[in-house]
Amino acid sequence: MLRKLTPYLFVAPLMIFIALFTYIPILASLNLSFREWNFLSPSMPFVGFRNYEQLLASRELWNSLWVTALFAVLSVPLRLGLALIVATHLVRESMHVRLLRGALFLPSVTSTVSIAVVFSWVFSTDYGMVNALLGVFGLGKVQWLQNPHLALWVLIFVNTWKQIGYDIVIYIAGLQAIPHELYDAAAVDGGKRLHVFRRITMPLVMPTTYFLLVISIIEAFQVFTIVNVMTKGGPAGATDMLVNLLYEIGFVLFDIGRGSALAVLLFILLVGLAILKSRIIGRKVHYEA
Amino acid sequence: MLQKLQTALAASIVSLAAGVSSADAATTVKFWHSFNKSNGETLDKIIAGFEAANPGIDIEAEYVGSYNDIIAKLQAAIPARRAPDAVILEVTRYGLFANNNLLTDLTSYFDADPLKEYLYDYAREVGVINGRNFVVPFNSSTPVLYFNKDIFARAGLPADTPLKTFEDISTAARTITEKLGAQGISGIAAPGQFARWGLVMANDSELVDPATGEILLDKPNTIEAYQWMASLVKDSKVASPDGVTEEDNGRDAFLAGKVGIMMNSTGNYVGSKRALGDDLVVRPMPCNKTCSVPIGGAGIGIMSTSQKDVQDAAYKFISYAASPEANATWFAGTGYLPINKKSADLPVAREALATQPGIDVAIESLPVAHGRARTTVVTWMRTTEYKMWEAMALGQRDVDATMKDFAAQARAEEKRLSN
Repeated sequence: MLRKLTPYLFVAPLMIFIALFTYIPILASLNLSFREWNFLSPSMPFVGFRNYEQLLASRELWNSLWVTALFAVLSVPLRLGLALIVATHLVRESMHVRLLRGALFLPSVTSTVSIAVVFSWVFSTDYGMVNALLGVFGLGKVQWLQNPHLALWVLIFVNTWKQIGYDIVIYIAGLQAIPHELYDAAAVDGGKRLHVFRRITMPLVMPTTYFLLVISIIEAFQVFTIVNVMTKGGPAGATDMLVNLLYEIGFVLFDIGRGSALAVLLFILLVGLAILKSRIIGRKVHYEA
Repeated sequence: MLQKLQTALAASIVSLAAGVSSADAATTVKFWHSFNKSNGETLDKIIAGFEAANPGIDIEAEYVGSYNDIIAKLQAAIPARRAPDAVILEVTRYGLFANNNLLTDLTSYFDADPLKEYLYDYAREVGVINGRNFVVPFNSSTPVLYFNKDIFARAGLPADTPLKTFEDISTAARTITEKLGAQGISGIAAPGQFARWGLVMANDSELVDPATGEILLDKPNTIEAYQWMASLVKDSKVASPDGVTEEDNGRDAFLAGKVGIMMNSTGNYVGSKRALGDDLVVRPMPCNKTCSVPIGGAGIGIMSTSQKDVQDAAYKFISYAASPEANATWFAGTGYLPINKKSADLPVAREALATQPGIDVAIESLPVAHGRARTTVVTWMRTTEYKMWEAMALGQRDVDATMKDFAAQARAEEKRLSN
């Protein structure tokens, strides 16, 4: 009997932890999404699907969905593409390379709030460093964070700057796992650099790319701190991403029911995306050379 | 060695026990507030004065951010049972808590307190909803107009340049931007929300009728005021858009000598004086169609969830904070309005009036100062107004259409809240 129970006992602490901090909150959120509550009122009346109806009928939700999708589509390939290029140059071991890797990784472990505050000043219209630099070349001031067409690009830049170090480190690990004999064979066959990259490096680093793709898409859909500190979703909703909208509905307007409904929708969306990714891209991933 | 160790251990236990018993004797009042920097230092002085006079009460003060932050954190803290005992609440936004029975009704405390007699009428009024007192005023303010005399002089504007109407202000701001823009100096800071409310009132309108609660966001005079404010940023470009997306940027630029004019709370007086010295000039807010300014600031409320003895101790503190001595210290140290009729006679206030020119401008505005609506929807309206203002000032949405849309949304929200 005890022998049968042993494996369950081993995993029990973790299961309890996950249940307490993940599954129970998800279920509580699901319950709240069918209720009306503002944190303060003693009662939480059941309102059926009203919160979902209001959300799906609101302009803000569709705008946020569009902005978040745009952010993901623009930032993820940029992040991964740049990271792979940089990683291929940092794959060999040397003191300089190690220093450079450390420098590139540093933003990943720096407080996001600090980064966002600093970049808010860097991109400030009248007092910012970027516009001061443009001024040196006789160029006019650019409203980086006030122009709805530019603000999203600024956030993409800052997010890429913060996250790319992590992607590079993972890619380096992936690149180091590729057997060197394959490159030697390609060299004997006279393979060109680009050709080798396309035919050997890219396919063999695909499991890493797939892992980073899954992680970075989830991150893109959950980006919040940079948005909240730098633009608060503005100007005019141009950077109002889903989690920022969720925070505003739930913790600024205190409509906990509608905020929970949005959290549930976001959860369904991310699960759907994960399934889609595994169906479309997962099949192309080869884990062995 | 062992004996020494035993002695030290015994002494530690005795001192620990003494510490515990003295901590048990004191009533601790957890107090959330929104004052840092020089205002925070002045508040610390008041708290120290209270604790010295009331050794049995310990005020555990904590700076928790802006008024908005306090509202947000309080709403999260209440269901988590981590709310403070006393809290600073902005005068238009405590209705949400009072209407949900989360604030202690202070009427009986207040009626029995001689303090009530000595408060100015405007101050006494800010704590009342439906005849019941929920907060005791602490930091009352009106917006005023600050300008930098040195920037005016460099732009060729005399110190007595008229700044009474919207047109006067536009002209001065334009002159500064034209003359000094190349040096990175702008004419005016984009008005913050308190100043925006004041400018709507100066245009003979309101956002919400304080008497009836009617939403007036789409009244022609309100829209006209917003059109003028937005034009400062998007049309004449005399105000930096940086101050639109982050309100404090405008104030910080003014304090750094990069902006000629700023309209802001009188609570910024001491900070501005420290930054600009004799270059700081204070004027009343403009009277475009009428002279009328909002009364802002905050009062201190007591949470209904606290124990009775803690509530009693908290009331002692908030009564002390509004006393002549504490209020005079607060007025002299921050520039906020005196709320107690007796504070102006005290030496510390007299000295401030004599040595800090302009600190009395807000006091002189009191005859035209009015309380604002504090219905439940005001909290939502003030939160949403930031987004609306941003869209209008940055030229992304037409002012007229935005204000009409805002009014419609506010009415719908009011209806939802009343259900």
